[in-house]
Amino acid sequence: MAYVATRGGEQAIEQAERLFRADLAPFDRSRVDEIRRAMPYLIDRIMGEASLYDPDLAALALAQTGGELYEATLLLRAWRTTQPRIAIAQPVLQDELLVQRRISAAFKDIPGGQILGPTLDYAHRILDTAVLEGAAHAPPPVDPAPRPAPQRQPSLADWERTEGLVASPAHSPVAPDDIPDLTRDPLLIPAPRAHRLQALARAETGGVLALGYSAMRGYGSAHPTVNELRLAEAEIRVAHPDGTVFSCGRARVSQAEVAAKGGDQIELGFAATFGWNEVKVIAAATLDLNSDGAAPGSATEEEFYLYHTESVEASGFCIHFKMPHYVTFQSALDAMRGASGEPAGEGADHKIGASL
Amino acid sequence: MSLASLTRPWAAMSYGFLDASARREIRRKLIKAVAVPGCQMPYASREVPMARGWGTGGLQATLTLVTPESVVKVIDQGADDSVNAASIRKFVTRVSGCAATWDTAAATLIQSRHRIPEERLRADQVLILQVPDPEPLRRVEPNISAARQMHADADYGRLWLTLYEQIVRKGRIMQGASYPSLVNGRHVITPSPIPRWDVPKLNMARHLTILSAGREKRIYAVPPHTRVEPLVFSDRPYQVEAHRGLTCARSGLGGFFMNEIPQADGGRIHEVSDSNLGIKAIRIAEGEDETIAETWYRNGEMQP
Repeated sequence: MAYVATRGGEQAIEQAERLFRADLAPFDRSRVDEIRRAMPYLIDRIMGEASLYDPDLAALALAQTGGELYEATLLLRAWRTTQPRIAIAQPVLQDELLVQRRISAAFKDIPGGQILGPTLDYAHRILDTAVLEGAAHAPPPVDPAPRPAPQRQPSLADWERTEGLVASPAHSPVAPDDIPDLTRDPLLIPAPRAHRLQALARAETGGVLALGYSAMRGYGSAHPTVNELRLAEAEIRVAHPDGTVFSCGRARVSQAEVAAKGGDQIELGFAATFGWNEVKVIAAATLDLNSDGAAPGSATEEEFYLYHTESVEASGFCIHFKMPHYVTFQSALDAMRGASGEPAGEGADHKIGASL
Repeated sequence: MSLASLTRPWAAMSYGFLDASARREIRRKLIKAVAVPGCQMPYASREVPMARGWGTGGLQATLTLVTPESVVKVIDQGADDSVNAASIRKFVTRVSGCAATWDTAAATLIQSRHRIPEERLRADQVLILQVPDPEPLRRVEPNISAARQMHADADYGRLWLTLYEQIVRKGRIMQGASYPSLVNGRHVITPSPIPRWDVPKLNMARHLTILSAGREKRIYAVPPHTRVEPLVFSDRPYQVEAHRGLTCARSGLGGFFMNEIPQADGGRIHEVSDSNLGIKAIRIAEGEDETIAETWYRNGEMQP
């Protein structure tokens, strides 16, 4: 049939893909290394959204997709699907994190101190156009502090708990294998808390920001105060079958705790993710904070924000509308054109239809 | 004995792409889906190397069932050569080593988007339909927790009401594709968005139909010899698309579901939607050795 040629089929998709790859030009390991070196925050962002911590693979995904972030995340997630789960790490405790930045907006000073760490918060956002004229972008070196900040910092919420400002959540120990794993169980609502935090950890940054921002602007009931924000490195500790616990590496992590006044206590919202991504964890913690009692269908309702910030699902469904839909369109046209349809199954034994 | 001698050689991915735990989960959910016809079974739904919404649910079911002996047919809108069908077929054959075909009668697994082939499927064939939205109640209840409760209660009153309202407002039921249908007298499904023309093919069929939604993470099934009844009122019979009298301008076939092709002069021609059926008819007309298997419809009439 002639429309084989007009729709193209296998040859067309092959050439369309080649065209995309030709625009990116051939590359080798050096491009991957340069992306990894030059763009750590971009790498962090997609490692978080992919829930796969591997900076080399993340840089490779960026190189392969030319920085199309949704495609890069999907590449990493699909890679993740092929990998076995070989161990479950020990819990990462807050006061064991190797902290590089840690601030609280709730108090002027806190036990352990406010540590600004690396940030552009107070930078003047001015393009260094001299670089385009040939100058080097060479910021002055950092002056070491006279007294180094401690590597580990106590948890502010722990202090608040001892003061009776924050309720202590009931601690129910779970065997590692029984921790609900969003990548192996479907997300059902109401979600176990583990699922909610896992879904937020891998949610799309822009989506979380949009919904979190709507809550901050007043569509949520609770106004967030940053109780504690941390950028840190976490030791990933696993147990060898002989019982020895050892560190198998470090991962950059961010976490945010946001606070709002409850009745007589502070309510906390929490979020954490792979990589350093402050916007995401503050927005995600705000959604967590506003979840309880949220109106059905509102942006802070758990079902609403968890389903609609899932990067791979949302972007995939959005682009699927490019696919042909002419069969369903034909069916709708037929209904629109009115009463010319015919009853189906006129054979005497084939009466079909469940009727009231 | 060494550790290496006890393990298989390293491979970048498992047979059929999905790792063993994913295949096991989907097999279990498939069995549950067959055991409770039409009931949506949640599953984890792994990411696969294609975008969500592009047949990832159907693909995971296919990858779970495929073996090196399988013969796989993939269609999109009824056509084997449609770009996404070509992409899925290429992937499945690449990761499983199975054979591919365009011939409905030769296939053991048929993955399809939006159509059921016109040639009647046999008991030894499995049809896998890609499903964008598995929830027939979505339009009346977008909240999935509430919708699950309604399924548990067999509470389909609001669905009936929308159909009734369409009759009151427009004089007929306006549902196009994905016509809500009652399976085994218990669960209402959305039969993926296949046209109304195809829904009777599910009723008391000889073959197993698996419906899988990857993005929404739900799998459900219509086992062989199971009632599938579109929701209708007793004085308003079920209407399929008015394609009975249409003729394919390329193959000369009539009495099958057609694609309408607008023409520059303001008119239209039709092409048979099941593209390989059209190819078979053309081959037969040209004297080639080709057979069209028994079809569900004959002269536009659904056969019992």
